[in-house]
Amino acid sequence: MPSNAPRPSAPAAVLCGLAGWVPPRVVTNDELAERLETDDTWIRTRTGIRRRHIAEPGQATSDLAVEAGRLALRSALTSAGGGSGHRPGRGSADAVIVTTTTPDRPCPATAPLVAARLGLGGAAAFDVGAVCTGFVYGLATAAGLIASRVAERVLLIGADVYSTIVDPLDRANAIIFGDGAGAVVLRAGHPDEPGAVGHFDLGSDGANEDLIMVAAGGSRRPSTAGSGQGSDGGFRHGSADGSRHGFDGGEPTRAERHFAMRGKEVYRHAVTRMAASARATLDRAGRKTDDVDHFVPHQANLRILHSVADDLDLPRERCVANVDSVGNTGAASIPLALADAAARGRIRAGDRLLLTAFGGGLTWGSCLLTWPPLLTHPQPERSTP
Amino acid sequence: MTSTYDDLVGILTRLHDTPADLIRPEATLGALDVDSLTTVEISIRIERDLGVTVGDDELQPGLTLGDIAALVDARRATTV
Repeated sequence: MPSNAPRPSAPAAVLCGLAGWVPPRVVTNDELAERLETDDTWIRTRTGIRRRHIAEPGQATSDLAVEAGRLALRSALTSAGGGSGHRPGRGSADAVIVTTTTPDRPCPATAPLVAARLGLGGAAAFDVGAVCTGFVYGLATAAGLIASRVAERVLLIGADVYSTIVDPLDRANAIIFGDGAGAVVLRAGHPDEPGAVGHFDLGSDGANEDLIMVAAGGSRRPSTAGSGQGSDGGFRHGSADGSRHGFDGGEPTRAERHFAMRGKEVYRHAVTRMAASARATLDRAGRKTDDVDHFVPHQANLRILHSVADDLDLPRERCVANVDSVGNTGAASIPLALADAAARGRIRAGDRLLLTAFGGGLTWGSCLLTWPPLLTHPQPERSTP
Repeated sequence: MTSTYDDLVGILTRLHDTPADLIRPEATLGALDVDSLTTVEISIRIERDLGVTVGDDELQPGLTLGDIAALVDARRATTV
């Protein structure tokens, strides 16, 4: 398979800023047990999750993204090797990517608003949708913007407010998901310097889109029956194409309006796809699992993380996990895990990291990088962990 | 018991929610409180580590660990 490393003449995307932000409100397993038929022990043994952070009513994805983005720009401003002498400056960016499954609105994208609120008005700004793989897809997109010289500095933010799409009475999903945002700044640099993101594997399997989905709210199944054109408007619900997707033209049910996941099938796909993607990335880089100091998977569920690590013959101790304190935060999970590990001093400059994600779509992806010297700034009002 | 049983015990003891002191040949998956995702994990690891396919839908709660070891051996015999 051909290498997908950037051409030597093209600038590489180099990580130079990092931050995470979660809403202050903590929801413990005991609190969930008050409304769901579950308990702390059951949740911990099945998922490894002890608590998660949940946004306040009215708090949207852009609100979380702005907080993480601001801290990431500050990290880039103060970190060694953050680049200088370029336009835009070290604490700025000329492109903003938000990757999310829970945009503020169906239209427009969330990134332009985030850019404006961060004082980056005029920057290129758009959303990337790859569900829980969004951060790795976003990294590849940012690397492409930099390699093609469209941008010199990219602010990439993974942010999700899953509490707005998960049914609070759905035991299977309400115990797993939390809200949060994680952000990185990438600058143009050299492929050989620490922080350069160079080797990727990305993939998808749309034939299994029904394993993870919110059935209603898009063009296939509008959120209200009346939101499409009526019989005199030229569009009809229950068209030949629509009927193939089980659309009968009625109001979406409660289940169709919320996030749904077929757990057993997703588990099997997640483990096998993540392990295969991690191997493909290592192969492309000419590396072996022994070369990996830290494996940073999408924080789906501790059992999935450990299963993938076992499959790769990686000691579980090399698996970076913070799912216990934040749950599954979707596109935010990898940068949140990175920010948490960096703040604890667990990952250090020169360490080699393998990032691997899996999500709805289905989508999956991996990326290798050597950790750069970074200064991170903790979330000011964070109440835990 | 067979070495396949020992391999199966090796798989189970690496899982989070299987109480090690209850693992015996006559223990059923139900008695071990194996949930649906754990049956998927066991199925994945049997295929990965032992080289035979046992679907998670085959791992019913009434099956003992000895039964599963015998099932794996039988599958191996038919695939050789």
